[in-house]
Amino acid sequence: MTAIPHETTKARRTAGIPFLLKTAFINALIALVLFSLMIGIRTEAGSDGQLTYWTRFGDLASIVAAVFGGSIVIELLRQWIGPTGAEKLVPPSVQSGMSFIGRYVAPALLIFTLLVPVIFYDQRYILDLAILVLTYVMLGWGLNVVVGLAGLLDLGYVAFYAVGAYSYALLATNFGWSFWVCLPLAGILAAFWGMLLGFPVLRLRGDYLAIVTLAFGEIIRLVIINWQSLTGGPNGVSGIPRPTFFGIPLDNSDDGLAAKLGIEYSPTHRIVFLFYLILALALLTNWVTIRLRRLPIGRAWEALREDEVACRALGINTTTTKLTAFATGAMFGGFAGAFFATRQGFISPESFTFQESALVLAIVVLGGMGSQLGVALAALAMIGGFELFRSLETYRMLVFGMAMVLIMIWRPRGLIGHRAPTVYLTKANAISSDLVKEGHG
Amino acid sequence: MTPASTPLLAIRGLRAAYGKIEALKGVDVAINAGEIVALIGANGAGKSTLMMTIFGKPRARSGQILYEGRDITDVPTHEIAHLRIAQSPEGRRIFPRMSVAENLQMGADATECTDAEREATLERVFTLFPRLKERYVQRGGTLSGGEQQMLAIGRALMSRPRLLMLDEPSLGLAPLIARQIFDAIRTLNRQDGLTVLIVEQNANHALKLAHRGYVMVNGLITLAGTGAELLQRPEIRAAYLEGGRHG
Repeated sequence: MTAIPHETTKARRTAGIPFLLKTAFINALIALVLFSLMIGIRTEAGSDGQLTYWTRFGDLASIVAAVFGGSIVIELLRQWIGPTGAEKLVPPSVQSGMSFIGRYVAPALLIFTLLVPVIFYDQRYILDLAILVLTYVMLGWGLNVVVGLAGLLDLGYVAFYAVGAYSYALLATNFGWSFWVCLPLAGILAAFWGMLLGFPVLRLRGDYLAIVTLAFGEIIRLVIINWQSLTGGPNGVSGIPRPTFFGIPLDNSDDGLAAKLGIEYSPTHRIVFLFYLILALALLTNWVTIRLRRLPIGRAWEALREDEVACRALGINTTTTKLTAFATGAMFGGFAGAFFATRQGFISPESFTFQESALVLAIVVLGGMGSQLGVALAALAMIGGFELFRSLETYRMLVFGMAMVLIMIWRPRGLIGHRAPTVYLTKANAISSDLVKEGHG
Repeated sequence: MTPASTPLLAIRGLRAAYGKIEALKGVDVAINAGEIVALIGANGAGKSTLMMTIFGKPRARSGQILYEGRDITDVPTHEIAHLRIAQSPEGRRIFPRMSVAENLQMGADATECTDAEREATLERVFTLFPRLKERYVQRGGTLSGGEQQMLAIGRALMSRPRLLMLDEPSLGLAPLIARQIFDAIRTLNRQDGLTVLIVEQNANHALKLAHRGYVMVNGLITLAGTGAELLQRPEIRAAYLEGGRHG
């Protein structure tokens, strides 16, 4: 098992140069085709509104050259420090040390998260960012049920986020119901829509499923835009009530929490409350997912991801298994949506574009499909990283894309690639994905 | 073995098709309780289709499948496993990213059984295939081909079946490992009274193991008899033994 990757690495290195040049040439050719119109020719409206254009073949040539050189560099990187050689780069002592650290990362991270509002009490920016990160952690954990566990590629997850947000916004503004009544309702409604999406796509898998879910996400968004009488269309819903501490508002009034506790009012109270609210919701998602994984339904989800035919032969009703996966994932999306609405106080269809779905999916994939800690770390890296590179302005996306490509080269199964087994004989014994790669008997 | 009055599984005039291509053209098979029945035939004869049709994928176009006297022709696929019919499908189809323990548990999840029953079955599987106990926490995909086959059979056994159907259990295995698998099947039949339907290309092994055998050609049963009888038939020897693999 260990000897084979070693051999192939050697073989790949010796058969390098013609392969390198061929790959680089093909990539350069693709770049030429792609960029010939995008960069080679520049069009603009002239002074009288007529179309003027000029060519920029110099820029085109330098871009194609950069792609050619770049693909050689990337291929070299992949061959030298790529995943096949990774096992040798890390000595066993370091590996055992890593697993020791690994056992304490999650609790340490949780304790740190609990203390964030204490440490950064005066830094509103960091608190806001932390809330945003936690929202995406929760969304990531929710989508993880569908994509990571059940293996159903869902590109329209934002639809359930939107359903949750609008459910709370409309119920609260129209009927004046409190957040705590609307929260479960938002989850139930989102789960209902998850089932509704589930039914027509029961027979689809992989790419086909992805396309239909993508369309579903867009349909929900377009319905929200066009159903003006209910949703306010592009103007959105404003004046969404802020959450209350079980009926006690967090404001400057005499009934407010600050007044009741006899402390001085500060707007930060509400931020801290929101922080702990989303943390609790996210932890609930995590806890439910971990529990479900150990039950037959969770195992059935994972088995479904592995082999649908074998599942059916083992007496698993694949229909209900898929529907429950969709519904569970959607429900958590709905909770997150309701939180989003109460935090923002204003929602509009612009918050629920495909970009959100893609971002959440990227978090799940980057984290290592199915790994709870991986998803949390990936959300931190993605959302936090986005803020970190804010000073780079337009180059931000470029840096970000590069970082993602590099991570996928080094850790093709995500940040945390191993999955902990759920059935034990005597004691827990997690197996690293580095040691046991997939499927070759 | 004297045939009982009602067989455990009786198949009558079964027809099944993939689109326009008819794979089963009126098959009659009877499996009595406590028997090992081998189904042999060339590639594409319809052996695997017969097994899959018993499980309702594809659905039978016509004919009847009776299990314990009950018509199960139209029972949904996932409910058939609850009737204590289990199968180890062709190509083994274990869950590669899940551990051996979870793979086995998946077999038990389908049927309602107490923890004690589950533990007892697990112990039985470990006695038959001690390798699975050694590999208990390992991921299914990291097992060797033979171990994966043991896991596939073990997973099927975890549902405590009355009828076990095995599709090509010796496929791609070294002769020694294949023999271990066949020995385990014999043990299960003798000690636990398990009824087995085994689909095999390796006619020699299968017919030596089985009480009775059926030969399938182009979607029809052409020959039936006891294992020993079939082994002596010149046409069987020519088609499946001397021309092909030697025992």
